[in-house]
Amino acid sequence: MKLFKKELPFSIGAPAIIWQMVFFYVPLFLLTLSSIIKISSQGHFESLTLDHFAALLKPAYAKIIFRSLFLALGNALLCLCLAYPLAYFLAFRGKRFKNILLFLLIVPFWTNFLLHVYAWYYVLEREGFLNNLLMKIGMIHKPLILLNSLFAIVLMMVYYYLPFMVLPIYTSLERFELRLQEASLDLGASWFETFRRVLLPLSWPGVQAGFFLVFIPSFGEFAIPELMGGDKQFFVGSVVSHYILGETTGSLGAAFTVMSCLALLLSAILLYSVMRRLFKKTWNG
Amino acid sequence: MRSIHLKNIGKSIQGHRVINHINLTIPPGKFFALLGPSGCGKTTLLRLIGGFEKVETGQIFLGDEEITHLPINQRRINIVFQNYALFPHLNVFENVAYSLRIKQMDKEVIQERVIRILKAFHIDEHLFKYPSQLSGGQQQRVALARAIINEPDVLLLDEPLAALDFKLREKMLIELIELQDKLKTTFVYVTHDQFEALTVADQMAIMNHHGEIEQIGTPKEIYEFPISSFVAKFVGTTNIFSGRLMENDEERVISIPELGEFKIPHTQKKEWMKPGCDMMISIRPEKIFITKKKVDKFSNVLQGIVQSIVYHGRSTQYNVRLRNGFRLQVFEQNEEHFPQEVFDYDNEVYLYWQKENVVLLEK
Repeated sequence: MKLFKKELPFSIGAPAIIWQMVFFYVPLFLLTLSSIIKISSQGHFESLTLDHFAALLKPAYAKIIFRSLFLALGNALLCLCLAYPLAYFLAFRGKRFKNILLFLLIVPFWTNFLLHVYAWYYVLEREGFLNNLLMKIGMIHKPLILLNSLFAIVLMMVYYYLPFMVLPIYTSLERFELRLQEASLDLGASWFETFRRVLLPLSWPGVQAGFFLVFIPSFGEFAIPELMGGDKQFFVGSVVSHYILGETTGSLGAAFTVMSCLALLLSAILLYSVMRRLFKKTWNG
Repeated sequence: MRSIHLKNIGKSIQGHRVINHINLTIPPGKFFALLGPSGCGKTTLLRLIGGFEKVETGQIFLGDEEITHLPINQRRINIVFQNYALFPHLNVFENVAYSLRIKQMDKEVIQERVIRILKAFHIDEHLFKYPSQLSGGQQQRVALARAIINEPDVLLLDEPLAALDFKLREKMLIELIELQDKLKTTFVYVTHDQFEALTVADQMAIMNHHGEIEQIGTPKEIYEFPISSFVAKFVGTTNIFSGRLMENDEERVISIPELGEFKIPHTQKKEWMKPGCDMMISIRPEKIFITKKKVDKFSNVLQGIVQSIVYHGRSTQYNVRLRNGFRLQVFEQNEEHFPQEVFDYDNEVYLYWQKENVVLLEK
């Protein structure tokens, strides 16, 4: 038995660990390395340097990082606001439609991402579905410019990331029975109090998981701002790809990536501790 | 301590009639048991009283106040759920303090009241444990403490002991009776277990499969004088015979095919009893005397052959085959270590009973 306990976890985890090493830690290490070395014009190693980082210490770059952080935060918050009621509905009111509704939530992932984008083009373009509809019912008189805007980016982001928020919240809610809510009401609590003191703390792990599942990847999101925002909106993803793919700017791109990752890490830690403190107060108050 | 009146209550769930025009008065300050087979709608009835289900037709009164459409959190009624529904993220103290915190009572008052009630339930040493760290019996007590700390007018208990083992259940039943005695709160206790209902109830109601109430009365009335074969069979064990009612000036008898005529009491008079009508009788197994000898002080006798013997400890159950193939159950108290008469398989025996112990039932 003892042998089992000791040996099994590693042998089971090994493929994943090796995978993680080869495709994540090694590239990350190489990337970090390339951000701090200087290469001669002949392509040889010259010396270690922080020049690339120094070159990035400009307000313009900080602005891009902050803009990306805000986009990620906004996306995560919007997703949370939409996902919580949806997850609640699925978990407690879905009844026999529960599985069908969950299925419908996942179905869009079966088609290619680019197809989603084109579908949204069709909806949002000048002569598109939405403009036509709004004109027909007389809400607007001339077409709105919807594509190539922050609005289009956020819309697409929320659309794409919503399931990542819904599923963890749904799973955390689903484990608890309706009885707990009934017990809370029975003990004199209002719906709001029940949400605050029972539902929220119980679903908290799901909320946290969903929040970071959305927040972290949306920070580096490249395709959506690029495709929906035209060339007006610069975010971290576009800058990284621009530099890394550039002929002479590879090291600069690496340095920018490292910098962005640090910014992301810091803000994630900050958000985590703020959320913890905020909600501990909420349900113990 | 207030009464509950149900007036013509009806409820369907998914097109299925669960509660069928129930009229019921639950007296104030009494321990009331609602007994019925699984799926008879007794839990639904309890949930209607608690406000967890919407009333379709009829009215519910708490005392003189109508509460038919009053929200759950405004009813002075609390419930103990079958699986307790303790909040898993709160410890024992916080669970019990929940309703007081909602009322925004003073911290010291809350502390004092919670500790007092937990002491009374002997769980004050587990104050900071979480529900998952408690045994079934302890969870049960926490759920009870949480429900009564707010001093409700009525306490609803939905099969609260179903998850406990037999010994603990017996102990908790006694504790519940004592608690009710002390608080004088109206208790409504739902169960499918006749033993529990008979033990705790001052008054009880029996529900049938059609979502109707068959009989209301004290446990003794229900057990000794069931009004239908459903009640007779559901509460306790019984022997039921079908036959025809025969009446003359002095005697009333039932004629049972292949077995003969048997005397039945004069005293029970019902509207349906007409000479010549089909009817049933119920005789409880413990009211039958089994012996190998002839005795003459009894009004009725049957002969049979012992087919099986089940030893229960305090009593022994004999299954006796009668002439018509029917199997009759008899309970004998095991009063002595060495009884005078010992029965064995295939013994021929006489079965005696007094006509006063027979219950007449409509067919």
